[in-house]
Amino acid sequence: MDYFFHNVALGFGVAGTPINLLLAFVGVFMGTIIGVLPGIGPMTGIALLIPLAFSLSMPPTSAIILMAGIYYGAMYGGSTTSILVNTPGESSSVVTCIDGNRMAKNGRAGPALAAAAIASFIAGTFATIMLMLFGPLIAQIALRFGPPEFFALMVAGLTVVTSLAGRSIVKALLATLFGLAIAMVGIDLQSSVPRFTFGNIRFMDGIEFLVVAIGLFAITEVFVNLVEMSKATKVELIKIKGGLMLTREDWKHFWPSCGRGTISGFFVGGVAGAGAAVASFVAYGLEKKVARRRALLGTGIIEGVTAPEAANNAAAGGSLIHLLCLGIPGSGTTAIMLGALIMLGLQPGPMLFTAQPEFVWGLIASMYIGNVMLLVLNLPLVGMWVKLLDIPQYLLTMFIVLFSFMGVFTANNAVEDLFIMIVFGLIGFGFKKADIPAAPVILGMVLGKMMEEKMRQSLIISDGSIAIFFNRPIACFFMILAFASITNPYWKYIPMGFRALSGRGKKAL
Amino acid sequence: MKKTLVAIAGIALALTVAAPIAAAPYPSKPLEIMVSNKPGSGWDALARAVNVTLEKEKLYPQPMAVTNKEGGGGTVGFIYTLSQAKNDYFILPFSPPLLIKTIDTTLQGSYKDILPLAMLTTDYECVVVKADSPFKNLKELLDALKKDPGTYKFAGGSSPGSMDHLSFLKIAQAYGIDPSRLIYVAFSGGGEAMTTLLGGNVAFLSTDTGTVKGQLEAGTVRVLGISAGVRRPGAFKDVPTVKEAAGVNVTFDVWRGMFAAPGMSKEAQAWWAATFKKMVTTATWKDQLEKNVWSDGYMAQADFAKFLDADYLTFKDIMVKVGLISK
Repeated sequence: MDYFFHNVALGFGVAGTPINLLLAFVGVFMGTIIGVLPGIGPMTGIALLIPLAFSLSMPPTSAIILMAGIYYGAMYGGSTTSILVNTPGESSSVVTCIDGNRMAKNGRAGPALAAAAIASFIAGTFATIMLMLFGPLIAQIALRFGPPEFFALMVAGLTVVTSLAGRSIVKALLATLFGLAIAMVGIDLQSSVPRFTFGNIRFMDGIEFLVVAIGLFAITEVFVNLVEMSKATKVELIKIKGGLMLTREDWKHFWPSCGRGTISGFFVGGVAGAGAAVASFVAYGLEKKVARRRALLGTGIIEGVTAPEAANNAAAGGSLIHLLCLGIPGSGTTAIMLGALIMLGLQPGPMLFTAQPEFVWGLIASMYIGNVMLLVLNLPLVGMWVKLLDIPQYLLTMFIVLFSFMGVFTANNAVEDLFIMIVFGLIGFGFKKADIPAAPVILGMVLGKMMEEKMRQSLIISDGSIAIFFNRPIACFFMILAFASITNPYWKYIPMGFRALSGRGKKAL
Repeated sequence: MKKTLVAIAGIALALTVAAPIAAAPYPSKPLEIMVSNKPGSGWDALARAVNVTLEKEKLYPQPMAVTNKEGGGGTVGFIYTLSQAKNDYFILPFSPPLLIKTIDTTLQGSYKDILPLAMLTTDYECVVVKADSPFKNLKELLDALKKDPGTYKFAGGSSPGSMDHLSFLKIAQAYGIDPSRLIYVAFSGGGEAMTTLLGGNVAFLSTDTGTVKGQLEAGTVRVLGISAGVRRPGAFKDVPTVKEAAGVNVTFDVWRGMFAAPGMSKEAQAWWAATFKKMVTTATWKDQLEKNVWSDGYMAQADFAKFLDADYLTFKDIMVKVGLISK
């Protein structure tokens, strides 16, 4: 234990220097902005910063404090536009749109934004503590997730679709299949054969799911607004109802959903390595199954914001465990961080904790500090963000278009992505008219690619036998979970069936 | 009159702006170093290392930016490069996939369409097992595979036909194993492949030294062989070469070099030839090589072009032999 406290003290000593505090602040501040702007993700943000870290000849610890700040700052900021204008700032905030934006339309944008910030803080802190206490242990669990385990987890994740269904499960399934189909576009990993690319090199790497998300949400929203504006005789502004903070009733529902989101997000997104987007979907699905007000989910309740936002922050913290304890990046963003660290002369890997303690513990301490900074930064901003809703619709629409185009273009410097985005905007508009939910498309895309890759890898390893998904304990557990998740609405009929069979249930029937 | 004035103004400008290299007005504009893959990839690492060195050693007097154009395993960047013909302020890194994709035609062009400037680094591929694997050396593994090629699957960080895959097929083929009977599991990235190995899901892994170094130092893996001609220093000093370990004379170089768009001016080409020659001797560059676990592979333009032609034939030969393409 002495060793532990010694390290924590060492960490705060490193992170507490004025320059590192400043960098943590700059990181989380920039991260928040990057998160708020749709399309520009932490990946782009960090890539842009690498030259800066070099030209200032930053020590590796300072550089990673800055980069980590951007990473979880973006996770905080991503929810803001989801809630206010139904435009996800990050792929992991897509599901937050559902209840978050509904809350804003009900005049409760303030509590939604505050809940997102507080849930992010709690989850971020939890992930940091877990990393500190059990990092190397958790890394060993992470190694247990081979391709079959991952596939089974994805199957369980896919059952979340029932919670995104809204009124019609058939329409939700249709949307999911559409998402899965889009995920198939591109070069097949196991055979190097291009699929559904129509000979166009742009499609060889598949369709970026952020482009689809921005199209389906932001651009669709713009089309809807345009149609409404042309009909409306006078523009109606959303009236803010109640305070900006959570009410007592909100708090009561906040805590349990925050706890569930944090833990599920940490394990699914972080430990297993499924990423923040999958984590947020799973957390939302979990709410639909177990929250007390589950029937109201989708109508704009606090649980629908709290759980996914807690989950994506816990996942971001969890993926740093992969990077620090295994030296293996757990997500696209941490892959860039790994590249930058190597250039700065650090070799992340199993040796890092012993070889570079001031680096590891400095980073961990800075994560605490950064989370506190984010909370302090974001809560007062709630008042300012809510004011955005006072902007007349026609102006706001313009800005949504501007930022969507900018964000999608900067992600890959490709004009073609803009056209794809517009096409998906039109598709989304059609979906809206047909009352088909858009979130399952994103779910299908997020899960589809990984699911297929992991299934194929598993089957190569097992020489084609599907037993591999059932004779390994973790994989089997998720398969059972998936089965239970689909069938549980019907469990209540089981006793009835038994009674009917034994002939005593005639009255009941 | 007007012409004279312009000339005078031009001379004055040249004297003030281009003071250090007064003889060569090149470079007078910002440079774009374009990476045909995402940030964090191998090409990206080279581009950024070159950027850092040129900047720190004050070799490029104008601003520089690294841009990323990902797609089709480099094809998008390659085609974009063709559109930049005659642009003197555009350079890009490439490695063997340039040749491999010329051969399997996914590049939609040839490596000869772009202009080599210099080879900068070489890297090697490793055959890796988990520390507790029953295979103590490469010979044991190859003998086991010879008996039963399908039993022991191997992982790599990219699609079949890429370097991780080809390098081991080359070894296996030389050892008398039918390469078409080996089972390869492709992962999207060396890290993912390494996780799979450490989790005990595959028998062995074929990947580059950068992915392996951290694990090797931590003792979680054993490197059975490295595709270099002689042993490598540093973390890999105890790792035998493939020739030492299995008695087959097989090497596999993962070279990385800088290229330019077609039609770069002779003046700019000469400038880069001189600059790269100087760059590779600097302390910053040596430092970058060490951090990235690269070996110095510097080769000047003419030699590099000849090397590419030879390497093209070598790759074509392996790919035909292992049945990835027909003659």
